[in-house]
Amino acid sequence: MSLKRAAALMFATLVILSGCAREGTSTKRLAFITNNAADFWTIARKGTEKADAELADVTVEFRLGDGTAAAQKRIVDDLLAKGVDGIAISPVDPANQTAMLNDAAKQALVFTHDSDAPDSKRECYVGTDNVAAGRQAGELIKEALPQGGRIALFVGKLDARNAQERLQGIKDAIAGTRIDIIDVRTDDTDQVRAKANVSEMLVSHPDIGALVGLWSYNGPAILNAVRDAGKIGQVKIIAFDEDDETLTGVKGGAIVATVVQQPFEFGYQSVTFLEKALKGDRSGIPASKQVFIPTVVIRQNNVDEFRTKLAQLRGR
Amino acid sequence: MKREFATFLLLAVLCGIVTALNPRFMSPANLQNTARLIGAFGIFSLGLGLVIITGGIDLSVGSALALLGVLLSIMLTEWHLAWPLAVLAVIALGAVLGAFHGLLITRLGLQPFIVTLCGLLLYRGLARFIADDETKGFGDAAGFQTLQRLATGSVLHVPTPFVALALSSAVMWIVLHRSVYGRHLFATGRNETAARYSGVNAHRVIVSAYIILGLLTGIAAIVFAFYTNSISPSSHGSFFELYGIAAAVLGGCSLRGGEGSIVGILLGTTLLQVLQNLVNLLGIPSSLNFAVMGGVILIGVVGDQALQRRGTQLVA
Repeated sequence: MSLKRAAALMFATLVILSGCAREGTSTKRLAFITNNAADFWTIARKGTEKADAELADVTVEFRLGDGTAAAQKRIVDDLLAKGVDGIAISPVDPANQTAMLNDAAKQALVFTHDSDAPDSKRECYVGTDNVAAGRQAGELIKEALPQGGRIALFVGKLDARNAQERLQGIKDAIAGTRIDIIDVRTDDTDQVRAKANVSEMLVSHPDIGALVGLWSYNGPAILNAVRDAGKIGQVKIIAFDEDDETLTGVKGGAIVATVVQQPFEFGYQSVTFLEKALKGDRSGIPASKQVFIPTVVIRQNNVDEFRTKLAQLRGR
Repeated sequence: MKREFATFLLLAVLCGIVTALNPRFMSPANLQNTARLIGAFGIFSLGLGLVIITGGIDLSVGSALALLGVLLSIMLTEWHLAWPLAVLAVIALGAVLGAFHGLLITRLGLQPFIVTLCGLLLYRGLARFIADDETKGFGDAAGFQTLQRLATGSVLHVPTPFVALALSSAVMWIVLHRSVYGRHLFATGRNETAARYSGVNAHRVIVSAYIILGLLTGIAAIVFAFYTNSISPSSHGSFFELYGIAAAVLGGCSLRGGEGSIVGILLGTTLLQVLQNLVNLLGIPSSLNFAVMGGVILIGVVGDQALQRRGTQLVA
């Protein structure tokens, strides 16, 4: 008898508690999930924090992935169990995470950021147009090699969507010129290999005109390898993202320019759009369901200004 | 010595083929690049080989490289420690980690696989936490240019990591093949109980092997940190222990313990680095990098097995 009563009591408590959780809070619980742990996300976090501070009716939880789809699934499951209202996620493997995203979309409002999963039931994508970013890099290559020449590209993994899109953008931009992409080398995010790939490219193709790093650590890897080979200035370098060393290279003139994304805006815009959409206001979301945050070219003349801004965002 | 000879033969044949296909393989620049990597990977592979000879294993080397690298960067750029002090601290900490593994294995009777698997997870996590998930670097190396030059420079055109490997190999060769301690090490690896009954302090031998590996990992951590010049805590050194294990086994170490040699480990390390180098030099797609490595190693092992079988038949 007492056992039954205890069980009934527990059940009642649970019902009341869960009721409280649903009604008692009019603030919406949002979550921002990354694909891995990187400096990039430290800046995005500042964006989510700014939006969190500005919007009275939301709380934002920031979760770092570890580069695997399994970890993201675990994070999403945990969040859904806790009753989160909106999720912005950067899917590691969009093609195969569609089912997971669709399941999540049944219980919460789902956005993608940074990398899109267009086939899923995500409400909106907030992030970079990587093809456009690739085109910007392509223009920089044309500028660096007005007479044309042979170039090589370096990236962590070529099966990643952003790598494919950046490559596509570069190809679009240099189409019809006398610039040849002779190779794209991958390193599986092993930075020792990343640098060795560049050193070995400089040996096997001494006449190479420009080297392009598609992921953030490829910039410093190229810079260090070219410096070791004593070919600074002789080989043009174009990079992506805002690694400290890349920016130092831009400032010193060793790197022509770097194309940077605006992760702060990923965080800030994701949260503000999620908050509006949860209130039923979808006015800011275009019909394409893609909100593009433009990429910016950082050269020697604007690198100092960019660095100052970055230092503020990182809180250093 | 047979196993070492087979690896040497495979290496010689490979070098011959690659030189014929691309003579730049033997160019000074390429030899220097490859020697630098052989040095960096060889240093910790020696220690890992030693541990394998005692019948143990260490899966935590890659994570330890990241943790020690992150700490080195913090000590030099944030605490502004004198560089000799930072170097000593990193090497000492490596030794402490090794002693920790060794004591857990001998005193608590835990499996080396489990202990070091936990190390793999623990040190990676600590590295990421300490670095706050940000990439650590060395900036302009103000105050420790000497160290940077030591780690990345050359002595008479020979890269310093290779010199360091040559020196450590010489010391380790004497320790393993010309000392009483070396005899004890082999005896412990072959049959720990028998060794103990013969008056060998097997526990002390095992702990010391892990400490030596820790010391060498500390040195390698410094070399790798300055090679990439930036340490991304989530990926730096990831899976590098497998290069060490593969080098040791290729060079004739038995995973059951009791067998192996310094020359073999050096040949194994060289073979692994040459394999990666030839993929780039011959313009084989990066996607085939691991496949080439796996395929050639398999050919080597199968060939070795066939030779040995024929050898025993002849004797019989």
